[in-house]
Amino acid sequence: MNLSELFPNLTPENHELTSEKTIKYNCIAWAARNTDRWWQPGVHWPIHASREDLGIGDLVLAFKSLGYHECSDEKLELGFEKLAIYGSGLMYTHVARQLPDGQWTSKLGQLEDITHSTTEALERSDYGEVVQFMKRPTGPSKHV
Amino acid sequence: MSTTAVSQPIHERFQKLKDNWKAQSRHLSNVAQISLVFSYQSIIGMGPDVVPLILAELDKETDHWFWALEAITGENPVGDDIAGDMEASAEAWVQWGRKKGLLTQ
Repeated sequence: MNLSELFPNLTPENHELTSEKTIKYNCIAWAARNTDRWWQPGVHWPIHASREDLGIGDLVLAFKSLGYHECSDEKLELGFEKLAIYGSGLMYTHVARQLPDGQWTSKLGQLEDITHSTTEALERSDYGEVVQFMKRPTGPSKHV
Repeated sequence: MSTTAVSQPIHERFQKLKDNWKAQSRHLSNVAQISLVFSYQSIIGMGPDVVPLILAELDKETDHWFWALEAITGENPVGDDIAGDMEASAEAWVQWGRKKGLLTQ
């Protein structure tokens, strides 16, 4: 199954592969700039959590602990780094991190990392839709 | 690496379910979503007979089998220090299987 079958909005023009496939880390770890753990509540997570803490709000709390707070949109803002949290039903499914040029970077499960031009490029899939944006000030001391 | 004796029908059913699950879950990041795929739930429903097959598969290719193994066996050999480290977690389960005689050379 290729990426366009999994993500109907992805086209050759709106995304680019930027890594090899790996199961070492997932999208949440990648958003937090960690590449040696698969981040999962109750297993490896930035705050105390149980394995049942799978809701969108649980993921928002995790990223709040890393210095992010909720914001209203994905517009590129000088001095801030943004995240797009995707959900399906009540469950979080994916996180993408905004790059300094306004594009987005995502780790697709145990597949590759990609750069995608919009957050919509990963919607209409098993990831559902973007349900929350978050941001934090950029600067070395704020990064994991 | 070979597994302890498992009947051919169980082996064939496992292979079919495993292939389906892997195809449907490789792009997912939330282990709950990964584990809710029907074929994965069906593998858990096969019970203890399937544990040697899961362990042999895990020995061959690291994947999200930990949830199923813990659900079926009630055990978890993955220490807090390696939680989230996929390769180390897989190795911990493989070693557990060897100690239990569920994986044989």
